Amino acid sequence: MENLVYALVQLVHNFGAVAVTAAPFAAFSPARLAPESRRGLARLVAAAWLVQIASGIAFGATSLHYYGVLPDLSRVARAALIVKVSCALAGTALVTLLFARGARWTEAAHGRAWRALAALGATALAGAAVLRWFS
Amino acid sequence: MPSLIPPSFARAWACGAALALVLLAPPDAAAAEPYVPITSPADGAPLDAMDQNRLVYEVDPGPRGDHVHVYVDGDEVGILRQLKGSYTLETLAPGSRELCVKVVNKAHTPIGVQDCVQVRVE
Repeated sequence: MENLVYALVQLVHNFGAVAVTAAPFAAFSPARLAPESRRGLARLVAAAWLVQIASGIAFGATSLHYYGVLPDLSRVARAALIVKVSCALAGTALVTLLFARGARWTEAAHGRAWRALAALGATALAGAAVLRWFS
Repeated sequence: MPSLIPPSFARAWACGAALALVLLAPPDAAAAEPYVPITSPADGAPLDAMDQNRLVYEVDPGPRGDHVHVYVDGDEVGILRQLKGSYTLETLAPGSRELCVKVVNKAHTPIGVQDCVQVRVE
């Protein structure tokens, strides 16, 4: 049962990772340059970052539930986790800003925001690999 | 009378049910209790600070464990996936040091099986 719970949390986390990374890159596709189309992508990215935060907490909560302790992480893994959490917070903040003020931004500003979101998603994904194998 | 359920759908459900049974099956009751003794150094042993000191262990992770972590004074310093082997400790500062090996699960969570020795580094 414990493995099933971890697997389900991992499943959700993996799909969240795909969304936070792929959706910002998709924003540069010619078919996605229209504001309405990009708003849909922004909603997806916002939801995906929240899913990442929730499923990340769920990993720790699962360990706490079954063993009463959090996973033991090495210094390198802890650094990778901090990078991932920072990306999640920055990604959530940036996409919120995109919703709140994006209507007044220039096309260049939109481009910078989506590039930053793509970079945050890719960095978090890279951090996940380090966290997985240096824990 | 033709079945209302397409064969491919039934096969997918059968595979899913089999997978669920495997995942939900309780651990083998006959499986041995997990253990992880540190065979060297012995508790209270003196270690030379200038030497390359090795920690020798063997582990049976049991059904819930996966691998082991090595700790010096509570800090994780290594991950070991072999069931029997040794780990070369980095230079230890003189004084009393605690060396621990803990069995952890696939999520790196200690499952409560561990062995620790206290050594004197001189």
